[in-house]
Amino acid sequence: MTTAAHNNRLPLTALFGVLLGAAIMVAPLVWTLLLSLKSNSELMRDSSAAFSAPYTLENYRAILVGSDVPRWLLNSIIVSLGTTAAVLMLCSLAGYGFARLDFPFRRTLFVFVLLGLAIPEQAVILPRHQLFATLGWHNSYPGLILPGLAAPFGVFFMTQYFRAIPKDLDEAAMLDGASRLDVFWRILLPLTLPAQATLGVFTFLGSWNDYWWPLISATTSDKYTLTVGLAAAQMNYAQTSGLGFLMAQAVFASIPILIVYIIFQKQIVQAMAGAAVR
Amino acid sequence: MTSLSLIDVRKSYGATPVLDGVTLEMGDCEFIAFLGPSGSGKSTLLRIIAGLEMADSGEVWLEGKRIDALAPGGRGVALVFQQYALYPHMTVRENMAFGLRNAKVPNTEIAARITQAAQTLEIDQLLDRKPGQLSGGQRQRVAIGRAIVKEPKLFLLDEPLSNLDAALRNRTRVELAQLRQRVRAAVIMVTHDQAEAMTLADRIVVMNDRKIQQVGAPMEIYDRPANRFVARFVGSPAMTILPAQGHAASGGYAQVQLKNGTLIQTRVSTADLPDDGEIEIGLRPEHVTVTAPGSGTIDGEAVIVERLGDRTLVYARLDDGSEIVAVDRGDSSVRMGVRVGLQIDGACAHLFDADGTCHHAERDQL
Ligand SMILES: Nc1ncnc2c1ncn2[C@@H]1O[C@H](COP(=O)(O)OP(=O)(O)OP(=O)(O)O)[C@@H](O)[C@H]1O
Ligand SMILES: [Mg+2]
Repeated sequence: MTTAAHNNRLPLTALFGVLLGAAIMVAPLVWTLLLSLKSNSELMRDSSAAFSAPYTLENYRAILVGSDVPRWLLNSIIVSLGTTAAVLMLCSLAGYGFARLDFPFRRTLFVFVLLGLAIPEQAVILPRHQLFATLGWHNSYPGLILPGLAAPFGVFFMTQYFRAIPKDLDEAAMLDGASRLDVFWRILLPLTLPAQATLGVFTFLGSWNDYWWPLISATTSDKYTLTVGLAAAQMNYAQTSGLGFLMAQAVFASIPILIVYIIFQKQIVQAMAGAAVR
Repeated sequence: MTSLSLIDVRKSYGATPVLDGVTLEMGDCEFIAFLGPSGSGKSTLLRIIAGLEMADSGEVWLEGKRIDALAPGGRGVALVFQQYALYPHMTVRENMAFGLRNAKVPNTEIAARITQAAQTLEIDQLLDRKPGQLSGGQRQRVAIGRAIVKEPKLFLLDEPLSNLDAALRNRTRVELAQLRQRVRAAVIMVTHDQAEAMTLADRIVVMNDRKIQQVGAPMEIYDRPANRFVARFVGSPAMTILPAQGHAASGGYAQVQLKNGTLIQTRVSTADLPDDGEIEIGLRPEHVTVTAPGSGTIDGEAVIVERLGDRTLVYARLDDGSEIVAVDRGDSSVRMGVRVGLQIDGACAHLFDADGTCHHAERDQL
């Protein structure tokens, strides 16, 4: 007991090290935040003005009224949520199928899915672009969402998770008169919630941070996602819109992701620690 | 009225046969134990009855209705799993209600049945907990409760006590026996613990090698085992089986000669025995008692002495190297390595012929 409690306390030097590391990592974020709170004219004179008052919310007001940022934010939310919901649905169904159903070529098909993990996006992006162009799917939500639905890792992950659930439960439910759909929907799916959360968070973050495909697919400003939109704004070398405004955009863009992190902190840490299953 | 009947049920997994023509008839409200070593097909048979596994051929009838083509939920059977298989995300109450909801039992009726079962099983305090918050013994009760509320025609229990510690197991065994008085339904319990089978069952079905070896009341299985396997498998420590040198008739009963020439007069009628071929003699430990060296039927060396308190088990090695188990008083002075005399009660001996069939001593017709 005493040793365990003692071990939980970091030695002073280590504590200092961790604090220093944290400070170094937080510094640019704080700087960004401070810059976003300064008026442009002040920053033009002296960029170190960020460290002293007066602060203003002017840049944020500009985002909300005069810019495309809210629109891009909405696009990002639609694309990310759409992708996440669809991926969870498809991967759960596929995982259940691979783990529980017996059908011809199941193993072969599973290997085939796993091979999907080995195909880099770069290898398929050109044909995909052409395909979508032919189908006229560029500059549309489906065009932004659909490529994200091929999720071999998610299928693999959910399959493993379903496999770890004892078959006794399915059988007990069947003896309780449950149909196959009941078993899936009322017994197994609720038990995969931790996996859904993990996969959901990663899919959401991946989709939110994706830059390349939206850059190719969304060519009109009204279909930009945040990543593409903000990057486009940075290309504005003249900095006419100002450093403070740019930083405010960055802060603004990171708010949804911050919320996701805060809500799903536990799942993210678990997944990072590789302890997601079980 | 017959409850369950199995007619020539066969099952193989791929090329491996697991059940080879199982036929069984169960009486009304009878408690039957499937007893057998690991891999003898007990669970498989249970799963076939429950509908979780399809038999390759054969028929399953329950209370006059053929059920082998029905879905598991529609058969009127409830299965208690070895690992309990409670739904982890549901409370105890929801666990018990799940099957009833699926069967469209009205809500008031569900509540009444759950209350009733919870009282019987003394789990009424636990109804709002999740399985993860229960001890092993409590989970087991909930699993039984989930079966009881369904009011099935037949309960199937797959090694229901095997996950409990010794003390809890004994208690639960007694409780199961009591429960059985209250719940009027037929029960099949799979076990490889013979004490469990002997205490609980009306009849025991001994299984081995894909087949039913013997069906009978517990004491009948013990006293009159059908063959070598049953004789060795039932009883602890196991029956000693010694090779014999053939036999002669003496007053209509067989007299067998052990390897060292010792003669043992049995009460097995020679009429049933084959005239030639190998013969073995089987002796339960309680029919061999320890005496002073030279004063018994045969002498041997005590190799293991197991003191059980009320009696002492002596594993003795005969001069030809074979071993025999004998009993002595609880305060026995026999130590390992000493020579002992063994008094064999030939009147209780069993004889096995070459194909393992067991021939029993004639019962006293006093
Ligand atoms: N799904 C399966 N596929 C292939 N073989 C199986 C399968 N299930 C069981 N078997 C085999 O069938 C035989 C009987 O198994 P079963 O589970 O019925 O034995 P058991 O008597 O219940 O044993 P235990 O006391 O260990 O539970 C075993 O040899 C087992 O290996
Ligand atoms: Mg078994």
